Amino acid sequence: MNLEIIIQAIISGLSIGFVYALVSLGLTLIWGTMEIINFAHGDFLMLSMYGSFWFFTLFGIDPLISLPLVFLISFIFGVLVYKGVIKTILNRQMLSQVLATYGLGMVFQALALFFWSPNYRLIRGNFLKGTFRLGNISIGIPQFVTSVICIVAILALFYFLDKTKIGRAIKATTLNKDAAALVGINIEFIFTLVLGLGIALVGMAGSLLSNFYYIYPQVGALFGTLAYVVVAIGGFGSVQGALMGGLLLGLITSLTGVLINPAFKYAAAFLVYLIVVLIKPTGLKGW
Amino acid sequence: MLNRKNKLMCYLLILVSLMFFNFSVAAEENVKIGLIYPMTGAIATVGGHAKDAAELAVDIVNGEYPDLGFDLAPTAGLPNLGGAKIETIIGNSQGQPEFGRAEAERLITISKVSALLGCYQSSVTKTASQVAERYKTPFVTGISTAPELTERGFKYFFRTTLTDAIFADNFMTFFEDLNKEKGANVKNIGMFYENTEFGVATLEASEKAAEKHGFNFVSKVKFPFGSAELDSEVSILKQDQPDFVLSSVMISDLILYIKTAKTVDYNVAGMAGFGGGFMEPELVETLGEDANYFMTRDVFSLDLIDKIPLLGEVNKMYKDRYGVNFDGNSIRAFVGMMVLADAINRAGSTDKEAIRQALTETDIPADQLIVAWKGVKFDEKGQNLLGQGIVRQILDGELKTVWPFELASADIVFPMPKWNER
Amino acid sequence: MKTISIDNENKRNNFLIPFLLLLSLIVLPLFIKHAYFMHVMIMVFIYAIVAEAWNILGGYTGQISLGNAMFFGVGAYTSSILLINFKVNPWLGLMLGGICAVILAILVGFPVFRLRSHYFVIATLAAGEIIMAVFLNWNYVKGATGLELPLMEDSLKGMTFSYNKNGFYYIGLGMLTILVTLVYLLTKSKLGYYFKTIKEDEDAARSIGINTTAYKLVAISMTAFFTAIAGSVYAQYLLYIDPAMVFPTSLSVKFVLIAALGGAGTVFGPVLGAFILIPISEMTRVFFGGGGQGIDLLFYGALIVFVALFKPDGLITLFQKNNK
Repeated sequence: MNLEIIIQAIISGLSIGFVYALVSLGLTLIWGTMEIINFAHGDFLMLSMYGSFWFFTLFGIDPLISLPLVFLISFIFGVLVYKGVIKTILNRQMLSQVLATYGLGMVFQALALFFWSPNYRLIRGNFLKGTFRLGNISIGIPQFVTSVICIVAILALFYFLDKTKIGRAIKATTLNKDAAALVGINIEFIFTLVLGLGIALVGMAGSLLSNFYYIYPQVGALFGTLAYVVVAIGGFGSVQGALMGGLLLGLITSLTGVLINPAFKYAAAFLVYLIVVLIKPTGLKGW
Repeated sequence: MLNRKNKLMCYLLILVSLMFFNFSVAAEENVKIGLIYPMTGAIATVGGHAKDAAELAVDIVNGEYPDLGFDLAPTAGLPNLGGAKIETIIGNSQGQPEFGRAEAERLITISKVSALLGCYQSSVTKTASQVAERYKTPFVTGISTAPELTERGFKYFFRTTLTDAIFADNFMTFFEDLNKEKGANVKNIGMFYENTEFGVATLEASEKAAEKHGFNFVSKVKFPFGSAELDSEVSILKQDQPDFVLSSVMISDLILYIKTAKTVDYNVAGMAGFGGGFMEPELVETLGEDANYFMTRDVFSLDLIDKIPLLGEVNKMYKDRYGVNFDGNSIRAFVGMMVLADAINRAGSTDKEAIRQALTETDIPADQLIVAWKGVKFDEKGQNLLGQGIVRQILDGELKTVWPFELASADIVFPMPKWNER
Repeated sequence: MKTISIDNENKRNNFLIPFLLLLSLIVLPLFIKHAYFMHVMIMVFIYAIVAEAWNILGGYTGQISLGNAMFFGVGAYTSSILLINFKVNPWLGLMLGGICAVILAILVGFPVFRLRSHYFVIATLAAGEIIMAVFLNWNYVKGATGLELPLMEDSLKGMTFSYNKNGFYYIGLGMLTILVTLVYLLTKSKLGYYFKTIKEDEDAARSIGINTTAYKLVAISMTAFFTAIAGSVYAQYLLYIDPAMVFPTSLSVKFVLIAALGGAGTVFGPVLGAFILIPISEMTRVFFGGGGQGIDLLFYGALIVFVALFKPDGLITLFQKNNK
């Protein structure tokens, strides 16, 4: 076990960690503001990946270029889902919410299966390709760019939440819904906005992921499950928590893979999650 | 006393009971055969291809094809049953043993099939064939390769395809040939396999075969099926440096593996799969040139058309109908169905015992097959011993036969060119 | 419709329907002999048991667990290993499986019950995944290859019924009846009262001196026990298990879906859920699944969303007198 492998594992781990973080941003935002578990999160990811794929295959638009378009469409889709489904279940019991969002995810998968078949799709010939190499350490360029965009997105999100009026309204709602309503914040508007934004963020993640990952109707399953763990480790509603959680998860899976056994990659992640959450029940935020 | 509550209950009960009694209404003279494959889920494409292939075989038997070389092709239907036609009824296993079992039971008890063909995944075949055994229904598997399937002492279970044990042994012989005739120096072997029944069974078969032939296993990388990334796995292989990597992996993880190997510049002299993703047409479709030089064990190859004219004709029919060529999985489904049809014809009836007896007496010569086997003849465990495996390599985007060298249609490229040399 | 009802009549009516239902289920095999139909009924019973078991912890105590498959699998594996390796009688194995599951439940519950709401849910999911990974990589239980149970001679003592579905049918029905009765008694008992209090407001419960952790552990133990014995029956019926069949998170979610669809927190809700969802999933697969286009999934998913949106307390509300 030489140093090189460990360094490579760390780099790879951080790289996939940024992907996990990016996927989880939308989830933590929605969760934090509306206190709702979105069990269809992975399937939204899947839909945006398909979106990016079809823009590329049918119209020749590179995923990097269609990114803002996918972001926008996801936003609108999120708003529609809010009005159609989420709004109704907001004040229901958690169980109801699990049921509704899980069913929604199943419907998405079924539609994808019906319209686009179970075949695996891969975008090839897109702009982002190749590898950065430093000696014997490599990182794929698509993964690297995704990591960079993840950081940019988080910074942008921070700015938005901290420095803009709407952003601060969102923050206020996250902290205390009733108090926010009292000071005149339109909660309905905030919720609509947050769901749209949350889906838009996962849409962005999907768009970037489509640069280097394969696409099929069930692709959201693993990423979705990991996203819940990331958000729970980081703390619901915490953007920096999602980042820390994502990176931690990425490192754990990567290092477990090379130091112990790849078969235990994800089990180790779940174990670490349990340990973190038992020491600090509300997650890493405020660490 | 019929208040709303009770009315609802009644409707529900009626609805539920109706659902159970409205099943197949086919003509009585047809010979019914049940097909169980994964029609939805992650491996639904394989299931779809297999079903299509089986149905093509049925069509050849049912229709009149005087110019086609099969014994049953010229006549319509099964001659010994007065021209009765075969009717296939599909069961969707969804890739899960529990549903495979349920479908087997449904097909046997409600659709009243005389025999079953299925199920691709060995774990699903296990439970489905168990049901068939209990109902004394002949069960033929054309594709499932787990060795233990024919070690259960079953009387109604027949397997036309080779097992993983034989394929593993083929690989070792292949390495020996490589060393002898191509100047290779393959000593250390690695295995990259998914943590499923398929992966573990092939690993065990490979370990046994390697020990028997004197090769060293220096790397065994087991990974969780459907991973988000395979960086660690490739890192380990890169460190262990096997001379050749055997692999059992489905297409999704394989795509990821190849992309990762390219990214980190992991070069191995040769890599061959126990089928799985390596033999899927989708591999080349999704990866293009990057798929080149990977190999797979197989029983079929398009380039064998030169040696097997019948293959060319049937493949053309398949391609005209379904838009793709045969692959190693679908063709074995075809062969399985033809064997079953032959047995039913010799049985001269739809009686399951007669069919079972006919199956044990199966003796199909090589010229009736579209795969390069010596024939089909079952031993007392229900295993066909005349199967032969080949090794194919993806060259110029197509799988070509490269071993045994006598059957090869192209020269093997070994070692694989490094990533930066492509 | 009469709106005036006397208390006694109410009580009689409350028991009448379930009793009639039980009676009809008991005599059903005398009239219907279709093996496939019986198979579906057996699966209905097994899923009804696990859904009802989940209900104890989730519906009544308010702790939503997405990891119950770990108990199901532990039950299945324990009795199977004991049978295969040590020739232990399946009934005994079933009990031992239940005990193992209870031990696991306490080991998992103790730390995890400190967590609240969503954190708890995800923790149960994580625990379930870890257990699955353990069995998937454990050579002693043959990991991913799975276990094939030996086909023994038909007998009730050996829980083997090769040709006749009636055996497993009545075992399933029997266990379900016992569990449902137990849950009913629970709702009338002090223990059940504590469970519900915890669900209502755990902090308040604690503040009045209730040892919420202890009661939650009792709840999860009960849940684990019954889920495990259902797992044992499942294994004995299918005669083959592997980790992907008995441990996945998707199975845990299925338990929750069935209970919630039917009506969590009610005695008959989970049973109703199983009676509806299992035949429907079988039907959709049989009629639509052959095409491979996912229509069966669509139907299934749409149903779940529909119920979640319009009948959030479960379909059992269709059968209750006071509909809003």
